Amino acid sequence: MSVSVRQPANPPDALRFNEIVGLDVAKQALLFLAVDPSLAGVALAAATGSGKSTLARAFAALLPDNAPFVELPLNVTEDRLIGGLDLEATLARGERVVEPGLLARAHGGVLYIDGLNLLDPGVAAHVMDAMARGIVQLERDGVSAVHPARFRLIGTFDPGDGAVTGSLLDRIGLIIPFAPQGDAAVRAEVVRRNLRRAGAPDAAGDDAMLRALIELAREQLPHVAIRDEQVDALARAALSLGVEGNRVDVFAVKAALASAALAGRADVSDADLEIAARLVLLPRATRSPEPAQVEQQAQPAPNVAPNPDRPDADDPASSPANQKQTPQQIEELLMSAVEADLPADLSNLPFAAQRRGKTGSRGVALNYRRGRFVRAIPGPLRGRKIALLPTLLSAAPWQSLRAASTGSSTGSPLRSASTGSAAGAVVRITRDDIRVRQFRDKAGALFVFVVDASGSMALNRMREAKGATIRLLQNAYVHRDQVSLIAFRGQAAQVLLPPSQSVDRAKRELDVLPTGGGTPLASALLLAWQIVRQARSRGVEQATLVLMTDGRANVALASGQVGPAGASTGSASTGSASTGSADAVGADREQIARQIRHLAHRIACDRINAVVIDTQAGYLSRGEARALAGYLNGRYVYLPNAKAHQIAEVI
Amino acid sequence: MSRPTIARQPAVEPAFPFTAIVGQDEMKLCLLLNVIDPRIGGVLVMGHRGTGKSTTVRALAAVLPSIIRVAGDPYNRAPEDIHDAPPTARANGHAGVSSNTHRLDKLGDRPKPKVERVPVPVVDLPLGATEDRVCGTIDIEQALTRGVKAFEPGLLAQANRGFLYIDEVNLLDDHLVDVLLDVAASGWNVVEREGVSVRHPARFVLVGSGNPEEGDLRPQLLDRFGMHARITTITDLALRVEIVKRRRAFDADPAAFAAAWEKEQRALRNRITRAQKALAGVALPDPVLARIAQICMHLGIDGHRGELTLARAAAALAAFNHSPRVAWQDVVAVAPACLRHRLRRDPLETVDSDEKIERALQACATEP
Repeated sequence: MSVSVRQPANPPDALRFNEIVGLDVAKQALLFLAVDPSLAGVALAAATGSGKSTLARAFAALLPDNAPFVELPLNVTEDRLIGGLDLEATLARGERVVEPGLLARAHGGVLYIDGLNLLDPGVAAHVMDAMARGIVQLERDGVSAVHPARFRLIGTFDPGDGAVTGSLLDRIGLIIPFAPQGDAAVRAEVVRRNLRRAGAPDAAGDDAMLRALIELAREQLPHVAIRDEQVDALARAALSLGVEGNRVDVFAVKAALASAALAGRADVSDADLEIAARLVLLPRATRSPEPAQVEQQAQPAPNVAPNPDRPDADDPASSPANQKQTPQQIEELLMSAVEADLPADLSNLPFAAQRRGKTGSRGVALNYRRGRFVRAIPGPLRGRKIALLPTLLSAAPWQSLRAASTGSSTGSPLRSASTGSAAGAVVRITRDDIRVRQFRDKAGALFVFVVDASGSMALNRMREAKGATIRLLQNAYVHRDQVSLIAFRGQAAQVLLPPSQSVDRAKRELDVLPTGGGTPLASALLLAWQIVRQARSRGVEQATLVLMTDGRANVALASGQVGPAGASTGSASTGSASTGSADAVGADREQIARQIRHLAHRIACDRINAVVIDTQAGYLSRGEARALAGYLNGRYVYLPNAKAHQIAEVI
Repeated sequence: MSRPTIARQPAVEPAFPFTAIVGQDEMKLCLLLNVIDPRIGGVLVMGHRGTGKSTTVRALAAVLPSIIRVAGDPYNRAPEDIHDAPPTARANGHAGVSSNTHRLDKLGDRPKPKVERVPVPVVDLPLGATEDRVCGTIDIEQALTRGVKAFEPGLLAQANRGFLYIDEVNLLDDHLVDVLLDVAASGWNVVEREGVSVRHPARFVLVGSGNPEEGDLRPQLLDRFGMHARITTITDLALRVEIVKRRRAFDADPAAFAAAWEKEQRALRNRITRAQKALAGVALPDPVLARIAQICMHLGIDGHRGELTLARAAAALAAFNHSPRVAWQDVVAVAPACLRHRLRRDPLETVDSDEKIERALQACATEP
């Protein structure tokens, strides 16, 4: 299992940094990162084959002292990532030998991740932790160790594959959110350079020059000054773009300083601020800036409370004698320069995409049955899969101890396995040694059908909903989706089918479909919400509500129906949400409408997708279903005579 | 290819000074109150990324007063702890018992053990930690070289009488959560391994932090935390500029920066020490206590943990402010952090939990 990770940073025939064309912004970002490692990293949006891995390698070659270049495979296991006990060496030497993980091996160099957005969340969490602390702290398998892990991260992501985990991206200083345009001339140049790469003497010279340039900039960096109003302007720009967190200001300022240092200047210019905004702030925008705010006149002098007795070094910004730009003016300049880069559809930006919550959470969960093997952990077998090798390995160190106390009650030997050839040799394995395999798997989605079983059309609706449920389940096996069905009629909604993957079960439980009576829509929404919440606690992320109704509710929730969330685990499988006594009359109607709005809002807030299928005949429809879809922030489909296959298609 | 390294040389990372952290007052107050009275039961810090959650928690260590422990005790026990309840360590069979565990037994007989003053431990429970290192296990090296069963204490032992910090607490493995809940409830850690049975005190203040967007916390774990601090992005421009300045100054020269803040750090440390001493003498007037109970009733909080935490946190705040008794304002100041995670989740509710608490406080303030 040796993944070769530590190649010499750049083999002699590889392309050099300066030869790589068409990635100018990326190169600039990388130069900043070379100058100031505390910018933490560069994240590049790029489609496959756009030369990014070449670029990353070429970059590593620019760093001093043969900096290591470590590529993180996407399917890395936890022990390879953070390190662990080297059992072989430990047994041989009789002392604990720790093998550092990939994160520690990247110390002082470059960690390259191709496909940031495909990274397992558990792996991403470790990468983030190392970036935050500059160390890897190991507390596992009898090993306690701390390894330094300060590296520059270069990561790529193909925006088409979904979003990068927000907190990971947040720790990476510089982001290039768009893949470079496929410019034919540039591509031709790439090919040309690739062809003539062997022994281009000037390129090697360029590399040496770049290295010297970086070295100079590094020396210059501590001497670059940035004015308070410039920092203020960057912070303003961050605010008006709706950037989350305060770390970003620090990154922006550092990027501006690095830019000035590379230009050999001792002051930060407008151009430096602009490039900083472009590489740090803009990619994190979650909203378009509002044009010219009104609060410009009344800007109180900055007074920082926590520490009044500290000598304030210098405060030229507030003295009017110093006729400089105000932060507002700088920000305006900055924003007008950068705004052109803001895409019309902000959702193309990585952070805005997450706020939408559609692609952000990928719905993966740890389990003991299937998926990608993540690690072996101690635990009872109970039908899980044993990790044989880790189990034997964990038993290995104790063999001589256990042999010494054979016959006594050392541990509780589960079984002794004879190794066959060596007569009498026995491996003693105790319960504590057992390791089970833990997997990470894409959790399937949950579809909750919420079907109006009241009124005259109910029977047809129910039958088709049942058909759609079973149809979905038949297709769902591959995706491990689950389907649940709630019917509402009379005083209460009722779970007819708790979340299930079983076609048989669905057929059985949906055998009897009661219909007729009032329309307790609120009760149904509440029940659906509870079911989704419970499913979420089991790792199901994606949930879709399929509501088949005319949206005309006439029964309110009973008071006290709403219990503490989570307390009703299991109740949803059998329970029904009881509702108030009387059908809606007069003032009740307003209350019902309010409850439905609140519940729908809550469902939308919890990022539960919704599809409302309006089953009302056209001439009767009063638009309630459409309004409901609006509250749910969901899709509205008009299917007065919904058939099972139509419903399945819609979803 | 790679040079294997021998374990354990903790790299000393200079921490950003606690007193130099700009804003996020609620989180800082919650942490300090737990230092003054560890019985408050820990802090859960939830908030946006990039708001200094872990920086703040890791900065705490430097302002903590020291504790007195038996010299070299791996469980940080105070001399009186050892007389009260000697940890039991016994080995079955005829395998040797570690020097460690021997010493544990002997300490119980000794009338006056040597003591030393050490900083209150702040122990990181890192991602990917396994149960054997959290709870402690048999020392693998000794087992291999000398065939001896020596108990090697884990993170829970290190954290005894101190703080146990879990960053990204919502990503913690379920089985570790179970272990932590067990130990946190009893204050004892029990390990049975290779016929060696060890039981040692593990009382610690649990501090967790995380980003709510990364996933929900198990309700049982949520409930364990005495206080729940919420933090958000600082939007005040002057504060933001100040954050950048301080961060730059720190990055440029951590030692000089720390030196510049040493006066404030010392002042805070002294204030905490004074508050710890004063705490026992802080009075909780009956009318205030009655109102505390009213608030919890008003908010429909189950059990008595809400009241207890609120009373303790308010008392700790009074002690921190050199006040001889708990005033209503103390209760008002800590109520949101003590109660917001104990409210029922009501899907029909559009009111923010903080606002609900605010209303309950107002209602109770006006009642006679």
